[in-house]
Amino acid sequence: MGIQEQYRTDAANLLDSGAVKLVIGYGEGSTPERRRPIFIRSAEEVGRLVLDANCIANLSAYLVPEGLLSDGKSVAVFLKPDGIRSVNILAAEAQLNPEQVVILGFNIDAGLANPLPGRKANEFAPLLASLKSAGLSTDLQREADRLEQMTAVERFEYWKEQFSKCIKCYACRQVCPMCYCRRCIVDVNQPQWVNTSSHTLGNFEWNIIRAYHLAGRCVACGGCDRACPVNIPLRLLNHRMSKEALDTFDHFAGESADQKPVLATFRQDDPETFIL
Amino acid sequence: MAKIGVFVCHCGENIASMVDTGKLVTAISGHPGVAFSSEYKYFCSDPGQETVKRAIRENNLTGVVVAACSPRMHEQTFRKACAEAGLNPYMLELANIREQCSWVHTDRIEATDKAIEITRALVEKVKRNNDLQPISVPVTRRAMVIGGGVAGIQAAIDIATAGREVVLVEREPSIGGHMSQISETFPTLDCSQCILTPRMVEAVQHPNIRVMTYAEVEEVDGFIGNFTVKVRSKARYVKMETCTGCGDCIQKCPVKKIPSEFECELGNRTAIYTPFAQAVPNVPVIDRSRCTYFKNGKCAICKKTCQIDSIDFEQEDKTEYIEVGAIVVATGFQVQNTSMYGEYGYGRYKDVITGLHFERLASASGPTAGKIKRPSDGKEPETVVFIQCAGSRDASKGVKYCSKICCMYTAKHAMLYAHKVHHGKSQIFYMDIRAAGKGYDEFTRRAIEEDEAGYIRGRVSKLYEENGKLIVRGVDTLLGKPVEVEADMVVLATAMVPQPDAKEFAQRIGIGYDEYGFFNEAHLKLRPVETSTAGIYLAGACQSPKDIPDSVSQASAAAAKVLGLFSKEQLEREPVVATVSDSTCAGCWGCVIACPYNAIDRKEITDRNGNLIKRVASVNPGLCQGCGTCVSFCRSNSIDLAGFTESQIFAEVMGL
Ligand SMILES: Cc1cc2nc3c(=O)[nH]c(=O)nc-3n(C[C@H](O)[C@H](O)[C@H](O)COP(=O)(O)OP(=O)(O)OC[C@H]3O[C@@H](n4cnc5c(N)ncnc54)[C@H](O)[C@@H]3O)c2cc1C
Ligand code: SF4
Ligand code: SF4
Ligand code: SF4
Ligand code: SF4
Repeated sequence: MGIQEQYRTDAANLLDSGAVKLVIGYGEGSTPERRRPIFIRSAEEVGRLVLDANCIANLSAYLVPEGLLSDGKSVAVFLKPDGIRSVNILAAEAQLNPEQVVILGFNIDAGLANPLPGRKANEFAPLLASLKSAGLSTDLQREADRLEQMTAVERFEYWKEQFSKCIKCYACRQVCPMCYCRRCIVDVNQPQWVNTSSHTLGNFEWNIIRAYHLAGRCVACGGCDRACPVNIPLRLLNHRMSKEALDTFDHFAGESADQKPVLATFRQDDPETFIL
Repeated sequence: MAKIGVFVCHCGENIASMVDTGKLVTAISGHPGVAFSSEYKYFCSDPGQETVKRAIRENNLTGVVVAACSPRMHEQTFRKACAEAGLNPYMLELANIREQCSWVHTDRIEATDKAIEITRALVEKVKRNNDLQPISVPVTRRAMVIGGGVAGIQAAIDIATAGREVVLVEREPSIGGHMSQISETFPTLDCSQCILTPRMVEAVQHPNIRVMTYAEVEEVDGFIGNFTVKVRSKARYVKMETCTGCGDCIQKCPVKKIPSEFECELGNRTAIYTPFAQAVPNVPVIDRSRCTYFKNGKCAICKKTCQIDSIDFEQEDKTEYIEVGAIVVATGFQVQNTSMYGEYGYGRYKDVITGLHFERLASASGPTAGKIKRPSDGKEPETVVFIQCAGSRDASKGVKYCSKICCMYTAKHAMLYAHKVHHGKSQIFYMDIRAAGKGYDEFTRRAIEEDEAGYIRGRVSKLYEENGKLIVRGVDTLLGKPVEVEADMVVLATAMVPQPDAKEFAQRIGIGYDEYGFFNEAHLKLRPVETSTAGIYLAGACQSPKDIPDSVSQASAAAAKVLGLFSKEQLEREPVVATVSDSTCAGCWGCVIACPYNAIDRKEITDRNGNLIKRVASVNPGLCQGCGTCVSFCRSNSIDLAGFTESQIFAEVMGL
């Protein structure tokens, strides 16, 4: 039995037994290689579930809408390791109870979707630990290295050019599982910290604030990057922040559900090179 | 309509020499909302403050900006003046055009432009300020003193005698600190034990003092007036309540050859022991790592010996949380380990010892009963060489600072040696003789003139053993000649350094420290016994090297500060506290974790029927210190700080 069949069966069993009230998975999309999130509430519907190498979106973002989990019932969700990490962060930030999240885990390797053993986020701890020790990389590694080589001025120019494209559609925010605030700081207009018009200053303010808000939280699912209609390489920005958090503070976002926010905690042996 | 008064201070020449104050006044007087502006030589002076008050009254000002020095300097002064003129004190802002402008610039035109911008920014801020009322918090009128050396004992007695409760926490089995190890004390040569022991007894017997020995402070929570301190009392294995201190157990303990820490390893102790005969409390402890019973379950001789069954092998460490309003830190010092000086041979030659060893040799209650005998063979040394600054004032190998006491105790050692070994000869290598203090220079003169201490100005370059003698080589820099002395014993005046765990301890309780680990005072000259953490004070050698008179004076000063704090039942606190917006808080609890004062709780919001709607953060204004950490952490921008609100800061920034 292929993984798709197996997970359809698993989903049907979970729904039939009443273990979960909802399965969040992937279905056919608008083109043959696109997948879109689908929400299945009865075993009869599991045939709509698709699982293959095109299932790349991080579905954990659909767990946080207000009220979904407040009845205490469980929800099953298809997640890659990045999604499992974001469930851990959401749990660490009290946005959900990980006991209510049943994970249908998989990863994509060599063009194939493969099952990952485990059902609850904490069962994936060894997997996440091995990801942490493997270190961070991005599929834009060459570009990342090139940025690293630049002088501060050159890098600033690079991002100025990139950010000048931003149209403030906030698609990057909407897609990100970590952007769950009921009111985002960009929507504050008393005072108007972030300029809403799309000129360079306002765009800088927005993109830099977002990068900071994701420091030590981004799981590199790439959602924002794919969502961006003007192709700003947002993952490079997030990658750089993640690298800083890992190298400097040994913080790998979403390592566990009791992880403390890297920007709110300190350890006595934290490097203090920035304190003059 | 805002009516803001702007008062531009010259600060004598401090500001006026670099900032064109006239131009500043003209520029700001045309700024929207500014109803009054003037300049003056010293606004902080009496007539200056009167000008401000009069202007407030006569012009019905709604806000005041004083363009002068740092708010750290005079914010309180002008707040008071505003209050006296009937204006809410929080309607005042200081525009810092001194530290942040005139002092750091060299171009008068640029400095003036900057001063205008700074002042304008504060005018914009003060327009958006609101009246704030101070917050009163109750003060727990009980103090904790950490460290039971002479400084800690003095502070505890002073506070207790004034009628307040004190908890004195000492980590060793007995209070007393280093002073109990010292034989006789400069500059009077009275016996250290004789003057200290009565104080130690007074402390334990005082009805207002609770002495906790063998105990360590693990955590300090809270803030001035309201600290909660976690203290762990280590298991003694001897019942404090019943033990009479008869010492039978100590007599019988078969493990007798443990080098005694108190005797600087010149003598031995048993596994169940009191550090010294006059220990207070006079209740032994069992050194678990050495006790045979704890090793293999056999022995228990002490338990069998004790007639009132006071030995309890089952005892465990006890943790308690103690509420106090103020803390005096008096954790003292240690003598530096001098083994980094290869040329002095410390640790290599048995007869090269430190000053503290010498104290034990000279002490009537010490391992040699006060006879000067050298450690290697117990012979009376005929010639003793003392090396001063063995670690101090040596940037390359030791510490940069002067330990302040070594000149004096070396002179004392030479005297004690002369009194005890009449034909003995002492030679002291020194760099300078620093004997500033009441009766101090007279004391060193006496050592030279009456007790024939031989002072050689110069450093020792080499020390080695030959035919049972220690050969000390150096240069007499006054004569410009090399010298060589054959000695039977060498005493190093080692540096006074912080306790080994000083930095870690300071971090644990939240006070600052210098590069060495000595604790930092709030201001070296004007606030020498306070730390920059309100409610935590310093006494004794934990702050810097000190002798007994200095340690005791500082202890009494710290006690006076504590008593000042305790003189009122309530403490007025700045109303600069944070508040959370329930409607936008996402309940991520980041702020709860980030708040260094544990001032944020989780709050449940329910509907009319009690159903939970959501959980949000909520700041306890009694605990909040207004640091703003939570404000900067909150991603949803849900927290605002009174006196520094988002709209005030925004206006200030946009005013630049
Ligand atoms: C060789 C020598 C000779 C000296 N001779 C003289 C002299 O003749 N005349 C003179 O005026 N001065 C003399 N001094 C200086 C004198 O010893 C000090 O001034 C004095 O001991 C300082 O007292 P203190 O209470 O600050 O520190 P200490 O005596 O060091 O006491 C500190 C106490 O705090 C305790 N403690 C430390 N950390 C903790 C903790 N975390 N928790 C709980 N308890 C803790 C320690 O166990 C100790 O009991 C001499 C010093 C030396 C080294
Ligand atoms: S910032 Fe982008 S890549 Fe990172 S978790 Fe959010 S959507 Fe994924
Ligand atoms: S998705 Fe792209 S264009 Fe839209 S707000 Fe984000 S960065 Fe700007
Ligand atoms: S950090 Fe902000 S959003 Fe998070 S709990 Fe605190 S106030 Fe609420
Ligand atoms: S301002 Fe915020 S972080 Fe600072 S003490 Fe108050 S509640 Fe805590």
